[in-house]
Amino acid sequence: MTTASTTPTNSKTPTSTAGRATTTASAGYSVLRARRATVLLHRRAVAVGAGLAVLLAAACLAYLCVGESFVAPGEVLKVLTGRPSADELVVGTLRAPRLVVGLLVGAAFGVAGGLIQTVARNPLASPDIIGISQGASALTVGAMTFGVTSYTVLPYLSVVGGLLAAALVYVFAWRGGLHATRFVLIGIGFAIALRSVTTLFMTKGDYLVAQQAQIWMTGSLNGRGWAEAAPLGWTLLVLVPAVAWAARAQRAVGLDDDTATALGVRLNRVRLGLVVLGVVLASVATGAAGPVDFVALLAPQIARRMTRTAQIPLVCSALLGAVIVVLADLLGRRLFSPTEVPVGVFTAAVGAPYLIWLIVRSRTVRSGGKA
Amino acid sequence: MSRLSARGLTLAYEDRTVVRELDLAIPDGRVTVVVGPNACGKSTTLRALGRLLKPKGGAVLLDGTSLAKLPTKRIAQQIGLLPQTPVAPEAITVADLVSRGRQPHQSWWQQWSEADERAVTEAMERTDVASLAERPVDELSGGQRQRVWIAMALAQETELLLLDEPTTYLDIAHQVEVLDLVRQLNHDRGRTVVVVLHDLNQAARYADHLVAMKEGQIVAAGPPSEIVTADLVREVFGLECVVVPDPVTGSPLVVPGAPWRGGDARVPAQEAQKTHADRKAQEGQEDTAASGTT
Repeated sequence: MTTASTTPTNSKTPTSTAGRATTTASAGYSVLRARRATVLLHRRAVAVGAGLAVLLAAACLAYLCVGESFVAPGEVLKVLTGRPSADELVVGTLRAPRLVVGLLVGAAFGVAGGLIQTVARNPLASPDIIGISQGASALTVGAMTFGVTSYTVLPYLSVVGGLLAAALVYVFAWRGGLHATRFVLIGIGFAIALRSVTTLFMTKGDYLVAQQAQIWMTGSLNGRGWAEAAPLGWTLLVLVPAVAWAARAQRAVGLDDDTATALGVRLNRVRLGLVVLGVVLASVATGAAGPVDFVALLAPQIARRMTRTAQIPLVCSALLGAVIVVLADLLGRRLFSPTEVPVGVFTAAVGAPYLIWLIVRSRTVRSGGKA
Repeated sequence: MSRLSARGLTLAYEDRTVVRELDLAIPDGRVTVVVGPNACGKSTTLRALGRLLKPKGGAVLLDGTSLAKLPTKRIAQQIGLLPQTPVAPEAITVADLVSRGRQPHQSWWQQWSEADERAVTEAMERTDVASLAERPVDELSGGQRQRVWIAMALAQETELLLLDEPTTYLDIAHQVEVLDLVRQLNHDRGRTVVVVLHDLNQAARYADHLVAMKEGQIVAAGPPSEIVTADLVREVFGLECVVVPDPVTGSPLVVPGAPWRGGDARVPAQEAQKTHADRKAQEGQEDTAASGTT
């Protein structure tokens, strides 16, 4: 496969049609057929996705093995396959549910960030920049200061807060259509305003509540179990078809407004769909683990640079988000043991250096596109 | 016959009315060129013809039905449009971009058909970008990039093709190349093409049907040889000029009539018949005049 950095010479591609690779092949795609249905698959994205899946499996295994007591991989596999094992409690009851929450949260943030970056046409846009995480925080911390501490109620409040903030940003950014730059700027404005609301709640509230809120806001997987994993898992499962739709819709939204409209895309409707999906995913994930920073920002950008696709590869972005969160939580649990550091502290540490390396390595500097 | 027409079209951005009560019929199977001075509403009109702009009044009709009443995907199967400054996604390859022109012919469960493959391959060959297929679009030169965008519009395989100033930012050789391509398309496939240009000479040279606009109104419409006169140019562009036959095509060629400053001189028609030597002499004078000022 020809990479973006090595320029193919003209001599390599003869002008005659005979024997030349097909157009889809030269665009880097393969066509998957099943009866009359056809699906376009980006070959490099498939390869990267497979690699990430292997990496994720390895990270998960390490996560289940490593802890206050080390469990041999063989024992872990025994637990996973339902065979009797002495480590049933540690692996199956303590570590596995927390791992599942981490996985799902990472995947949800990875997809959510990708969708919002696509609509905003801005690689810096993500739920934690344009006010969605801040909306979730404001409502959750507010409820905490008013004495709501139940971990069955708080996640739902967080979802509502995220959706409300997103709705406000969208309405204010609307002006006969959605203007990408306006959307990001208004989102940043709301993020700042909502952050001060949260701070207000924390200073007004009880000292212990403030500490609890601080931990929640950093994003933590501590104490998460099947009770959080199940609703999160079901919600994400229901959204899978929507993500499949989004993956295709993204192709057209990446073009400028006029070109996309000329191609018969109902742009405003498609964009609204992508934003709603992204916001729901981000809010649900925030509800389960708090606003884990940077995953939504980093995962899509790293994934796109790995696959070299023109749009953000959602599946790879989900896998990468999961890898980042799982590794970050593993570090958070063990690095300063016995003190546990919230996962949000390490997500940036895991992803950011790699993204910086990817950007530095790419030889040509390109702007993020005209918004 | 015309499949695409506008009736009583009024177009506005916010409160500023740009085009008022415009009637226009695009002749089928011909190359129509819309010309006019800056801000005369020619691009705005083209955008409305391609349903990128919703009319404030009147309607654009496709086969007698208002565009507002047709699903946008159906329109996209009939009308292709290339905006003035299209933006490609970052790092997209040529083949990938061109294949996005197939969007209106696909659905989420039919993402790539034989027809898609054929249309894209053909579009890239016609525009001579097949050898660039794997190159990222942002690495191409302006002329190559414009051909890629035209290839994308061609891959859409629409009977009507609207192009908004496709020669902007191109040097003269690439301008000619693009316009020749447009004519070729019309000639080979009988496609109806509407092009917005600001260069009157190019318009006169390439159009079957010329539409001259000024201040949101059509001043004249018809074959260039019939409508391009010194009077029309004065009325539309406010420029004194001489119209002579293009030495290559015989189409009307507009030569600005005031060679240098100080001439409110209406240039008499016989000036145009000056000998080559005379013109050379004039140019020489102009050069000295120019160097004198620097």
